[in-house]
Amino acid sequence: MSTLRSRSVEMTPAALPTLVRSVWPLLVGVGVALALQFFAKPVIGDFYAKVLLDIGTSIILAVSLTMVNGFTGQFSIGHAAFMMVGGYVSGGIVYYGSLLAWGSADMAGGALSSMIDGREAPFLTWGDALFAGSLVAGGLVAAVCGYVVGLPSLRLKGDYLAIVTLGFGEIVRVLIQSQTSDVLYTVEEVKETAWYLMPTKVGGALGFSGLPFYSSLFWVFLGVAVTLLVAYRLKDSATGRAFLSIREDEIASEAMGVNTTQFKVRAFVIAAFFAGVAGGLFAHSIGVQLNPGELGFLKSFDIIIMVVLGGLGSISGAAIAAAIVTILPELLRNPEPLLKMWPVLAGLAAVLLVAAVVCAMTGRRARSLVAWMCIVLTLLGLGFGARAAAAAGHNLGDYRMILFALALILMMILRPQGLFGVREVWDRSLWKGIADSFRAPPKKGGTNK
Amino acid sequence: MTPPTDAVLEVRSICKSFGGLKAVQEFNLTLPRGSLRGLIGPNGAGKTTVFNLLTGVYKPDVGSVVLGGREITGMRPFRIAGAGLSRTFQNIRLFGELSVLDNVRLGCHVRAQHGVFRSIVRTPFHRGEERAIEASARRLLGVVGLLGRADEQAKNLPYGDQRRLEIARALATEPRVLLLDEPAAGMNSQEKVALRALIQRLRKEFDATILLIEHDMGVVMDICERITVLDYGKTIAEGTPDEVQSNPAVIEAYLGADADAGSSHAASKGGR
Ligand SMILES: Nc1ncnc2c1ncn2[C@@H]1O[C@H](COP(=O)(O)OP(=O)(O)O)[C@@H](O)[C@H]1O
Ligand SMILES: [Mg+2]
Repeated sequence: MSTLRSRSVEMTPAALPTLVRSVWPLLVGVGVALALQFFAKPVIGDFYAKVLLDIGTSIILAVSLTMVNGFTGQFSIGHAAFMMVGGYVSGGIVYYGSLLAWGSADMAGGALSSMIDGREAPFLTWGDALFAGSLVAGGLVAAVCGYVVGLPSLRLKGDYLAIVTLGFGEIVRVLIQSQTSDVLYTVEEVKETAWYLMPTKVGGALGFSGLPFYSSLFWVFLGVAVTLLVAYRLKDSATGRAFLSIREDEIASEAMGVNTTQFKVRAFVIAAFFAGVAGGLFAHSIGVQLNPGELGFLKSFDIIIMVVLGGLGSISGAAIAAAIVTILPELLRNPEPLLKMWPVLAGLAAVLLVAAVVCAMTGRRARSLVAWMCIVLTLLGLGFGARAAAAAGHNLGDYRMILFALALILMMILRPQGLFGVREVWDRSLWKGIADSFRAPPKKGGTNK
Repeated sequence: MTPPTDAVLEVRSICKSFGGLKAVQEFNLTLPRGSLRGLIGPNGAGKTTVFNLLTGVYKPDVGSVVLGGREITGMRPFRIAGAGLSRTFQNIRLFGELSVLDNVRLGCHVRAQHGVFRSIVRTPFHRGEERAIEASARRLLGVVGLLGRADEQAKNLPYGDQRRLEIARALATEPRVLLLDEPAAGMNSQEKVALRALIQRLRKEFDATILLIEHDMGVVMDICERITVLDYGKTIAEGTPDEVQSNPAVIEAYLGADADAGSSHAASKGGR
């Protein structure tokens, strides 16, 4: 029989159509990012533009962590550390690069950057190019860190990765906090400083101040598009199946010829790269200051919550969960948009309740219905609770860790596989599975495990 | 020093102990190309341990395993799979959340290039390879009769189908030697007949060389050319089905196993 290789060569499609098929999703991504920047932003206003920007960064973080915790089933709890590495590298490059190139670290960006509004600004300037390059550099440095951290711990079986990533996060935080000193403000100061000391001039515990706000909807959602495309294409290829097989059964995976160590490290390094990019985007966002305290364990935990809620292994699930987890504190701070929808939500909950009762009476399982009803009612309750709390001078958003913990517990009880499990929103089998849960209960036996 | 015979698999006196328990002692085996060998013995005799030793899950304490003239002793399992040894598991180990098709496609992994960059950029060759992988996976699913369930999650298949899926997945690695660990366990008599036909077909169509662990004597005696019998880790007999069936040591081992139930038989060996 012929080899797989020769059969692959036979089935290889022509180059030009392949190029088109390979590139168009990226072009769509660029288009969406441009549309958000130039059409959506003026409509939704600066505040919601900022919320959208945070959502974008969260999506990159959640989807990249999905590749490790979701695809390969390893447990990394230090994703924010890679974000921090990428953020500081990118910040350093942009800040000192701008200082050296233009004599000032201020924005030198065009219409693609966030602060400059209006079409008079040039579309793309060298400032934007420096920023984009710094994002890649930050990602690469984070990826190298990922390799150094991942290789020794992923060779071992067991939960060493969790311990090592936790430790790595603390090391990075403490190093930046205690071993770096004030940011330099002038070109002269930079020129007087030895080049190898430059990495220590990033602000110490006070944070890296003075970074220009290059992160715009365009850059962030370009990053989102690339992350989603990479994650999806990896998942839907031999590489992705190798990732998932490790999580499903490492022994079988190895027996079928998967170099499990190598693939775990690959996933980890790719995830670290995107976390680094997200860090660069975060560092140059308006309304945040890059400091070592900001990107500690709690930030890592936020990202884990997104991944678990979305369903370990689902790209679209992680993205949706990232959006929810990012919006929720905003909604709790200002619940009015939610409360405006209360008749709709209450109606929806009532319909779900009736459907669940009918299902139960006719002997069908209705757990999914009840779960969805709980979600809708919880949203409503949160809205009213937030308003009541606001009246009493509190902000429910401050209690988000408690709320997320409760949500996680509920999730574990009602839908342990997360929103979508390993599947994607567009997988038909997912919806078939949900639809089946409304039908008659499956026969006992038949399945084994 | 490749063996002069046309043996694909040559096992030379491998041993394995777990603590004081000698699970496999001095196990020898020569499998000519295209042969079908049975490996039988009471529960706890060490049959699965032999598979684990051959496929690199455990390292033999002593001895060597040579596959197609190449020494594979002590290599990591994925390398052994690459060298051409593939197996099924007695306690089914499918990738439950993945689709039936993906389980088999993963088996093709070991013969594929699967570069990360290629997957992301989707080069023409990558697309060709994915098509070739899907085509062979579907063909194998057809062979084991699971083509109609290609899109179901593996965990949702009935028991017998899961066993056949494991065979398809193992075949997808294009092995020189296929190790089947109790493929008929849990199957009903109808499924067993189909399994027998499937194994015969694998030999004809794929020129498969097979080492078969099986408890169902009907299946083993019927289709194997030669049989090796293990008891307490030792090889107590080797020969054609007729020879083995009339061997007093074998009868003794099986009667002993029947007299006190399999579990107590396994437990009693710790003292030896
Ligand atoms: N990893 C292990 N650690 C300790 N003992 C083991 C291990 N694997 C197998 N054994 C023991 O080795 C013996 C042979 O087991 P096995 O090869 O599974 O038997 P079988 O012939 O039924 O497949 C049994 O007594 C079993 O308990
Ligand atoms: Mg066994």
